[in-house]
Amino acid sequence: MAEAHQQIYLEDKLKEVRESGRLEYRSKALPTWCPGCGYFAMAGGVPAALNSLGIAPQDTVVVSGIGCSSRFPFFVNTYGFHTLHGRVLPVATGIKVANDALTVIAVGGDGDGFAIGGGHVPHAARRNIDITYLLFDNGIYGLTKGQTSPTSAIGFRTPTSPYTNPDQPLNPLLMVLAYGATWVGQAFAGHPQQLEELIRQAIAHRGFSYLHILSPCVTFDKTDKTYDRLEQRVRSLPANHDPQDFAAAMRQAMDVETPPMGLLYVNERPTLADALDGIVVKAGGAEKRARKVAKAA
Amino acid sequence: MTRPAKETPSTDIQVAICGSAGEGTIAAGDILRSALAEAGYRIISFDTYPPEIRGFGKCIARLRVTTEQAYSLKQQSDVLIALNDEHAIPHIGEVRDFGAVIYDGHSIAKLPEGGHVSGHLRAGQLPYPVSLRELCEKATGGNRSRNIVALGFLAGVYQLPKDAFLRIITKKFGKKPGVAEQNQAAFETGYTVGEAAFRLDDVVFGAPKRDAATRDVVMINGNAATVRGAVDAGIDCFFGYPITPATSIMERLASEMPKHGKRLLQTEDEISAIAATIGAGYTGARAATATSGPGLSLMQEMLGLGVIAEVPSVVFVSQRGGPSTGMPTKTEQSDLSAAVHGGHGDAQKIVIAPTNVEGCYRCGGKAFEMAEAYQTPVVVLLDLYLSNRYETVQFGARPPFEANCSKPRAKAAPGEPYRRFALTEDFVSPRALPGEPGAMHTITGLEHNELGRPNDQGDMHERMSKKRHEKLKAALKHPDFTHCKRFGDEGRIKVGMLAWGSTFGECLEAMFKARAEGIPCAAMKVVMLSPFPVEPVSAFMDDCDVVLVPEVNYEGQFARLIQGELGRPVVSLARVPGVPLPVDEILETIRRLAASGPRDAARLVRAA
Repeated sequence: MAEAHQQIYLEDKLKEVRESGRLEYRSKALPTWCPGCGYFAMAGGVPAALNSLGIAPQDTVVVSGIGCSSRFPFFVNTYGFHTLHGRVLPVATGIKVANDALTVIAVGGDGDGFAIGGGHVPHAARRNIDITYLLFDNGIYGLTKGQTSPTSAIGFRTPTSPYTNPDQPLNPLLMVLAYGATWVGQAFAGHPQQLEELIRQAIAHRGFSYLHILSPCVTFDKTDKTYDRLEQRVRSLPANHDPQDFAAAMRQAMDVETPPMGLLYVNERPTLADALDGIVVKAGGAEKRARKVAKAA
Repeated sequence: MTRPAKETPSTDIQVAICGSAGEGTIAAGDILRSALAEAGYRIISFDTYPPEIRGFGKCIARLRVTTEQAYSLKQQSDVLIALNDEHAIPHIGEVRDFGAVIYDGHSIAKLPEGGHVSGHLRAGQLPYPVSLRELCEKATGGNRSRNIVALGFLAGVYQLPKDAFLRIITKKFGKKPGVAEQNQAAFETGYTVGEAAFRLDDVVFGAPKRDAATRDVVMINGNAATVRGAVDAGIDCFFGYPITPATSIMERLASEMPKHGKRLLQTEDEISAIAATIGAGYTGARAATATSGPGLSLMQEMLGLGVIAEVPSVVFVSQRGGPSTGMPTKTEQSDLSAAVHGGHGDAQKIVIAPTNVEGCYRCGGKAFEMAEAYQTPVVVLLDLYLSNRYETVQFGARPPFEANCSKPRAKAAPGEPYRRFALTEDFVSPRALPGEPGAMHTITGLEHNELGRPNDQGDMHERMSKKRHEKLKAALKHPDFTHCKRFGDEGRIKVGMLAWGSTFGECLEAMFKARAEGIPCAAMKVVMLSPFPVEPVSAFMDDCDVVLVPEVNYEGQFARLIQGELGRPVVSLARVPGVPLPVDEILETIRRLAASGPRDAARLVRAA
């Protein structure tokens, strides 16, 4: 009997998913991640968020760098560009500058974004380009089989730091806040519903949105950022946290021992497109711009 | 010493202005060439200056003023204006016999013995000592317009059209209150003194040609012509990072593109500049970046992504002395190997190099056509000499560029995944752009199958490598584009030159002189360097007893490229003086090769 109930439940669930339209966003290619990888939360969360926002697959470009998380574009049925290690943000910038109508989602890991690509984050943030950056932080280089990353803890042991990691880990949240990101949030892959909701908000935000996602590497990290350990440490933001309060957001971001989940900071200011349009107006090219945009549409 | 033959009715005069950085040397050259171009002369002009903005580095502005088309600067100048004794003294030697040297008769500072220009004049060179500082102070109350007084003097002596100068001065300084008036006064003073000067030299400016052919002529430098080409080809997006000598491409585009409703972004580095260019290219935009050698090195990995992901992009590279920071304000052609062979993996792209300023315009536009048609990065190689050299160029009424060169896209079969990298007869796949329904796909730097999905099977890598290389062959027949062209004698010749980029002008001048001496000689310019036009170059080499390859780099990079592509020997004349190759040196090599005959030439090749 229990099995029959289970069957009915699954069929109902499947029907619900089919009718939701989410499957339209799913690629025929199957994810290549290890079973239990935190990234599966993104494979569910991004399609769901796009679907609930009513953004069509053909109007979406998912851009990534190199790394385990950067394989994501192959697993969604949108336009995608799997680029070079560390270069997801500049490529995404080019796409968005060339075509405002596209929803651009940049995806990458901690090594991609804050080691080799660290020089690009400040500029994407300060320009407030209207893209969403989903950064999956597992504190490890998974694709090359488990080396130390810029967010690995001091004392973390890997094949490139066999005598343990001597370097202080970066705090990406503090950095992007200082860089001028206008939407900053944090999520945990172990809480997929909250993750999905935060992805939705991040995409809906007009400007540069940065979502930091704590995501365990179940294969190469058995000791530090595991589901169990993170589950014990993560907490909700205080009920009275005001996301418009920059100083409060900085204080929350400083807490790496018990990382706060949710929307830390949000702010509205002109986007890069606004600024570039302003330049066109100053130069007297607004009419030509309008014609070009209309023609493209 | 023989007096040169009586002047021909056509004008061919070279003026050099030499001074210290901050003395207005380059500004004076700019006014002179602008005024003479407006008067209807043809101009070739090239300035050299130190990497520092101020300080006491040497600046030289040189311009050759002609009635017929010229191809390079001359070895010798007819007139030298010395604004600074110390810097000008080493250049007195470049003034020809019966040429003129204009200098300050009363130097600003008390000079040590032998420190004054007058002590270094050769017999036969004719001196015009002018009290530049005194005249300037009288006319303007200060000494900042000494350069303009000197210009006025030159215009007065040679009876150049005064109105043109005054108009250009107003245009150049009009925005700063009082400065235009001050400089006009300085010019007038110099002019009056010059007019009254007793003529000693035999420099004669003939009347400029004011016919239909010269009516729409514009004086423009290589970077500005490149920009004009890009804008006429409909450039949509530009991403760049400042670097000498490419910066003025970005600066000019920054003011031009918004007028056309287009977007430009100054990125955080060269890597992001090319990354954003490729990102924009992926959406179907005509996108470009501009850099120099150091930037090209940084862009190599991303260019490889452009090759494997088959995304159009255009990279303008203005070369300078290298390697590393090298000589940022000196010219060189040493990034050919990096452009053609740079980057890892089998990553052939299109590389084109204009040979003159008009060519910059054509390549500046055609690069976008090729990038789009063959879905690949296109590198346009300029160099500091070409970027900064001014020429008078006539532009057509309509831009000679196609607005859309994309392969038409077959309708995607419903329910089928989109085959972005479909293997076709011409190896170019139809390309859907983001926003098009039913054709969603992901492109990648990983080797992939026709769908764009990662695939590292040996046979797939073979097929896709072939696709990426074979598709470029069509670029060798790209419509309305001169891939290579032969000049000079037809048929069998003693010495043939193969040249690329800015050096071709010097080769042409040397060839004309060699032919005048009775040496059967021809020169071929090679504009497309990758893929290499093997057949026409090979046919040209068949006609030559010996092939000479002059270029401004140490390794003989073009000579090596030819030898690698054709497996045939050439004589390399490769030098790195930081300035254009002297025409006389090329001519001397031609003479030597012509005298030695084919067998000796072959020995020379081996020796080289």
